[in-house]
Amino acid sequence: MIDVEFYDFVRGPLLEFALYFFFAGIAYRFLRVLLLGLPKDYAKPKGNPLAKAIEKIALKPTQGWRFFMEVFAHRGIQYIGGFLFHVGFLGLTFFVPQHAFLWKEIIGFEPPYMPQLVADILAYSALFSLFALTVHRVFNPVLKLLTGKDEYFANILIGIVIFTGLFATRWSGGGLYVWMLNLHMLSAVILIIYIPFSRLSHFVYYFLSVFFYGWNVGKRGVSF
Amino acid sequence: MNTLSEIFRKRGYSRRDFLKFASLTTALLGLPPSMFPEIVHALETKPKPVVIWLEFQDCAGCSESFIRSTTIMPTEVLLDFISLEYHETLMAPAGEYAEESKKEAMERYKGKYILVVEGSVTPNGVYCTVGGKSNYELLKEAAENTAAVVSVGSCASWGGIPKAEPNPTGAVPVYEALKGKQVVNIPGCPPIGDVMVATIVHFLALGKLPPLDNLGRPKTFYGQTIHDRCYRRAFYNAGKFAESFDDEKARNGYCLYKVGCKGPITRNACPTIRWNGGLSFPIQSGHPCFGCSEPDFWDRGFIYRPLSVVETGFGVEKIAAGVAVGAAAGAGIAWINKKLRGGKK
Repeated sequence: MIDVEFYDFVRGPLLEFALYFFFAGIAYRFLRVLLLGLPKDYAKPKGNPLAKAIEKIALKPTQGWRFFMEVFAHRGIQYIGGFLFHVGFLGLTFFVPQHAFLWKEIIGFEPPYMPQLVADILAYSALFSLFALTVHRVFNPVLKLLTGKDEYFANILIGIVIFTGLFATRWSGGGLYVWMLNLHMLSAVILIIYIPFSRLSHFVYYFLSVFFYGWNVGKRGVSF
Repeated sequence: MNTLSEIFRKRGYSRRDFLKFASLTTALLGLPPSMFPEIVHALETKPKPVVIWLEFQDCAGCSESFIRSTTIMPTEVLLDFISLEYHETLMAPAGEYAEESKKEAMERYKGKYILVVEGSVTPNGVYCTVGGKSNYELLKEAAENTAAVVSVGSCASWGGIPKAEPNPTGAVPVYEALKGKQVVNIPGCPPIGDVMVATIVHFLALGKLPPLDNLGRPKTFYGQTIHDRCYRRAFYNAGKFAESFDDEKARNGYCLYKVGCKGPITRNACPTIRWNGGLSFPIQSGHPCFGCSEPDFWDRGFIYRPLSVVETGFGVEKIAAGVAVGAAAGAGIAWINKKLRGGKK
């Protein structure tokens, strides 16, 4: 198969299949978690569960800073690396021009897009922080025990997506550029398919778990 | 038979013009400066190349482009330089006389002539016949004793528009019809005239074909993408895109990616050689490249949509369909699990 045919296949039927798979997979997992069938709690609520759940969804990321100094002292790499990685990766996913045009197709409106220079800064910060976080996982005895194949595979895959994307935008090496684009799009498609059935789906379940956490906090009437 | 040098002189051009042509061709072919004397010597001494030009399922646009290859060689010189023994659009004779002259040329220049093919071929069926013979038959016959086969245009190189879905005539590119034979592909709709001339000059001067890529295209001209050599690339890098045709941004040179430019996946020399004596090329005129020199470009569809979007579109309806399938599967399996757990109790 020649490069352009492969490109047409990846950004045509394969990307479409991946998007279907992604939305179906996320909905499937979401329903499975929702219908786990936890036993009913008959205790009378001491606070307002719904209000607390909504508050936690809206404010939890800011409330975490109350423990910043305490936690930062022990988990600095995770704090800084995690922040840089998430800002970089999400920024690249939504606000790189080529991705913004794709999002317009999917969600109906075009997110504002950024110049290449900003995208480059985000890509470098995401790549280096991803590398640091992965190394940290390998050498930190506690994290090492908590880390499975899933995390390593996800980190490598995301690293390939970012690296090939960065390389493709800076490419000036002739006709092989199409293969570079192919590699970028193929790794992105694999990532899209992989997300629903891996821990990467935490970006969806985060809200569910925070809601659940807030609901319980509200029910017990505690302050955090 | 006249040499190119003699033709230049006869047409009133100076030796300086001839040397300019030779140096430009050497540079265009990506040959080192040390090859310049060799090229000049060959063009001064070798007889002009004999070309038999066959047209099948085409629009004659490639022929038009060929005779307008004015950047390196004036048209009046070109038509004298190449001994066009047979070309349906350009030749004076018609009907039986034309066919006879082709037959005669094929006999006289056996193993020496260059066969140029324009248009796609239909091995099955009689969709394109000339003088009672099918195009496939004519191609086989002409290709048998040729020195080189050159497919010009996307129709001859890849099948082009005749081969586009649903391909009613069963069109195939020349290299498929001539399996096992080396075919040089010069794709484009139409290809750049100077590229066709330079390829023929390379064969004439050095006695061999130029280095080709894995799809049979001369690497010198098809080794890089349009995107790599585009003068609007700086705007692409800066994230500045034209929103529609001929808007203020497009006129200011902003990148045409958003209005459908396929430059990033298209290999051709348009941004460097350009057209009409180096005057312009589609992107310079404000139209996005639609990738005419890549295989099956017409079937790619989405000509005026960005390269990064899903070709068939992916909107709210498709999201809802995906979510519905996933939700139904999730709820169904959860219900079955509940029943099974209930059964165990």
